[in-house]
Amino acid sequence: MDAQLIVIIAGVILVVAIIGSLLFLKGYSGKFTFDTANGTRPRATEGEGSTSGTKSNGRFKLLTAGVGAVFAAIIAKLWSMQMVSADHYDKLAEQNQTRTVTTPAPRGRILDRNGEAIVDNRASLALVAYRDLAENTVVVRHLANVLGMPYMAVLRNIQDNTEGAQSPHTIASDVRRSTIAYVVEHIDQFPGVSVAERTERSYPNGTLACHVVGYTGTVTQEQLDAQENLSDEVRAGSIDYQSGDIVGQAGVEYYYESLLQGIRGEQTVKVDADGNVTGQAGAVPAKAGSDIKLTIDLKIQRACEEGLKLGMEVAEQTGYEPTCGACVCMDCTNGEILGLASAPTFDPSVFVGGVSSDTWNELNDDEGDHPLLNRVIGGLYMSASTIKPFTSLAGMEYGVYTADMSSNCTGWWTGLGEAWGKKCWLETGHGTRNLETGIRDSCDVVFYDLGKNFFYSEKNPEGLQEMYRRWGLGAKTGIDLPSEAEGRVPDSAWKEEYRKDWSADQRAWNAGDMTNIAIGQGDILVTPLQMATAYCGLAMGGVEWTPHVLLSAVARDGEGDAYTYEPKKRLTAEISTAGALDVAYRGVHSMIYEESAVTAAHFTNLPVQVAGKSGTGEKDGEDPYGWFIAYAPFDDPKYVVCAMLERGGFGSTCAMPAVRTVLGALYDSPDDAAYTAGDSTR
Amino acid sequence: MALDSLSRVNKHMSSDRGGFRQKVNVPVLVAWLCLLAYGSLVIWTASLTIAEASFTRQLVGIGLGAILAFLCWRSDFSGLAGMTTILLVVDLIVLFSPYIPGLSYNAKGMTGWIKIPLIGLTFQPVELAKIITIFFMASLGAQYNGRIDSVREYAKLCGMLAIPFGAAVVAGDLGSGLVVFFSGACIIMMSGPKKEWGLCTIALLVGAVSLLLALDSVLDSMLGKDVLLKQYQMNRLLVFINPESDTSQSGYNLLQSMIAVGSGGFFGKGIGNASQSGAGFLPEAHTDFIFALLSEVFGFAGALVLLAFFALLIFGTIRIAHQSDSLFLQLACIGIVGMWTFQLLEEVGMCIGLMPITGIPLPFISFGSSSMLMQCAAFGIVQSIWRSRGKAR
Repeated sequence: MDAQLIVIIAGVILVVAIIGSLLFLKGYSGKFTFDTANGTRPRATEGEGSTSGTKSNGRFKLLTAGVGAVFAAIIAKLWSMQMVSADHYDKLAEQNQTRTVTTPAPRGRILDRNGEAIVDNRASLALVAYRDLAENTVVVRHLANVLGMPYMAVLRNIQDNTEGAQSPHTIASDVRRSTIAYVVEHIDQFPGVSVAERTERSYPNGTLACHVVGYTGTVTQEQLDAQENLSDEVRAGSIDYQSGDIVGQAGVEYYYESLLQGIRGEQTVKVDADGNVTGQAGAVPAKAGSDIKLTIDLKIQRACEEGLKLGMEVAEQTGYEPTCGACVCMDCTNGEILGLASAPTFDPSVFVGGVSSDTWNELNDDEGDHPLLNRVIGGLYMSASTIKPFTSLAGMEYGVYTADMSSNCTGWWTGLGEAWGKKCWLETGHGTRNLETGIRDSCDVVFYDLGKNFFYSEKNPEGLQEMYRRWGLGAKTGIDLPSEAEGRVPDSAWKEEYRKDWSADQRAWNAGDMTNIAIGQGDILVTPLQMATAYCGLAMGGVEWTPHVLLSAVARDGEGDAYTYEPKKRLTAEISTAGALDVAYRGVHSMIYEESAVTAAHFTNLPVQVAGKSGTGEKDGEDPYGWFIAYAPFDDPKYVVCAMLERGGFGSTCAMPAVRTVLGALYDSPDDAAYTAGDSTR
Repeated sequence: MALDSLSRVNKHMSSDRGGFRQKVNVPVLVAWLCLLAYGSLVIWTASLTIAEASFTRQLVGIGLGAILAFLCWRSDFSGLAGMTTILLVVDLIVLFSPYIPGLSYNAKGMTGWIKIPLIGLTFQPVELAKIITIFFMASLGAQYNGRIDSVREYAKLCGMLAIPFGAAVVAGDLGSGLVVFFSGACIIMMSGPKKEWGLCTIALLVGAVSLLLALDSVLDSMLGKDVLLKQYQMNRLLVFINPESDTSQSGYNLLQSMIAVGSGGFFGKGIGNASQSGAGFLPEAHTDFIFALLSEVFGFAGALVLLAFFALLIFGTIRIAHQSDSLFLQLACIGIVGMWTFQLLEEVGMCIGLMPITGIPLPFISFGSSSMLMQCAAFGIVQSIWRSRGKAR
């Protein structure tokens, strides 16, 4: 407030004061005296005598002063409000008449490594209306009929304030074009209803890679509460979610939410006292989220999924009925996941616009196959014979079963006494086998002996478990996907704790437990990804890269990459015993080409040499779980492919076709050999 | 007839300018005309956004008011001095007229209106009652010849004021009751009581009001129902103490009003830019909260101009009262001063949080014909008193 104004105001006040005093003083100049004889009407003569003029003047002074005080009080208060605190009230007035309406920002797309969209955005049309429409029951009923929605549902959507009271409320999203056309043509019957453009998630390849990309949903109350509990510093750097926001709820959508989520636009609108929008005041446009590129190669991804299907078909020919499985293809030189399939799949598009409770219950039915579970990272299985290369390394590293030792397999092993006899899978017996040929033929007896030797080893009774852990089994791989399972490498401490209810004798770690885990049975639990990563390490001479699905985040402006995933070393498994790794390599190589002509026929037609191992997990009361893990090329490993079929039978029968399909896609060399239930290894 | 009279005035004016000044008090006339013009401008502003504020209706009210003012100016009111009882009876009839079947008119749930039969015009009789009460009190006060020596007589006078005041409050309008009370009190004070009595009365009243407020909440909670003051009246009385803490309707109204006034700043937002009154945040912006609208649109400067016009009007009227030879007319003039001063204080004061919220129109400015007609009549009476000075001699 500048001095000029103060002068003006002071002047005005002075003028008012002068007017008042002049008018009043003028009265004194007259020869006014209050004459009772003449001044009043006849009745007044009844009064008790004359009133002095001075007394009357005194009263008039008082009256003038009183009126002046009223003016002074008003001016003083006005001064403080309009001159001193005007900015404060101005702000309040501004707050009164503006409301912020948010506009949703499109999420970033999810692309495969070649830039092909796995998850895209599509424009959808929604019918929206302001909250007042709820009062017009006729229109709401008509609308419900046209949309084919229950009246109450339409009403609830109109009254729902999650999008903000001043924003138009979504009555129905993703409305059919024909319905939109009808409403637009008959818009006079639907006063207050308008059409809004939205972006929704779309899945051009359907269910392909659904477990990798995950799905989106409305932000949950728990997520909002969690946000409330964050410190201000953390919140300042992250996206502020509001009720009704669409966020990733699984897979990459969840894990890379902060990259994919856009920044809401804000529109400031002017409103009147009833909340009606009267005009625009300003707008900050919404910023789309970053597109992200995955390491997934859609061609390999398809092969993984088709391979699983093929494996299931083959399994059905042999009398099994698998419905669930997992298949993953990794680049062992950097940890990139090229394909990741889990069966059964789900359709992520059912989550767009909110999943119905029926669909949700169906997806989570305990009687069903839990299609939402990503079995590659979240399924826990016995590793079965695929663990044997690592068992061999343990035996050699700790010297309990060296490359020079051998066992004689008669099909029935009684190393722990006749009462505790164990079968080899080949009940007719393999004959004499050492570690290398034991891996090749998956001879259980060799590994029973190895396990027994560990059990009775004075120095390293748990060296076997140590070796498993050295390769990362029983631990999360650290893949950039949510809900990874940890697995379990059991030992005596674990059993003591886990079997608390059992008697001391029963819960003691025994030789049988040891021989079980030596062949990947019993209490050992791994995820297919753990096994694949362990084989990556094996192929790379001990170096394991952390598996990951993110390749890069594309800059928001679409030019170049804003962020590139740097491959990280997960672990390096050191094997100090000379030649031990070679034994394992020869074992997994000969398993492919020498163990069985049937298996070999599927790999000799590839342009590269392959090494691999099958496995068949035995679970009481269930059909066997079939495994097959391979890496290629043998001499310069690049890819690891791991497949597992629940209740699919022998691994080399049901899981091998999946692995072969993926290898075929990798090397553009489809399999031309027929799949028959052969006499191959388990 | 009105035209005929006007032409006569014109003739009079042209023939004798000095005579015109004798018959018409120019400063008060100028103030009145300025207020009417300013009020028209404000109502026109309000009419842009408020449907109920009809500018033409207001102009009709001003026109009728001007005719009434002219008629009052031409009349001699000194005869009313001896009609004390009649004035009181008429006053009570007018105040309770909304309860007379066939006359009462209830619109928008409001009471205190009558619909005059045959013509069909609606009218707020309490506006007329204000002026009748002024004459009633003046006729009483004039009997003491400017000097009240006995406390009994003073008490009697106060007791007489309690009748129209009580009637106005019971008839349902506390605000108008306070106007009646204040103008009557001014007349009593100017009738010549000892100053100490006046101070004692004020002290008593303050005590009684505090007691009433305290007793009201106690009785309400004891009896479980609204006795004495109605709850909304109570809220209105108390809200101005801390408007921002109160979320009730009265608190909201006051806050919105203060925002409107405060955000007006020095020069105001200008016509058409006022968000508070224009977008409906300010309730009753054309009647009870007209000053808030004015302040928002024309700012501190505009408010000062308004206050200057009122100062000219009120101080000018005090001067007319001072120069009147008739004690009765002098007191009537004081009553009108009291009425204008209190209505200004209350209307402006409630808009800026100085006074409790009551529904009182701002003379010559607020939308509404009843108030406009009666305030113009009051102006006419003041001019008539000016015209009649020296006559008694």
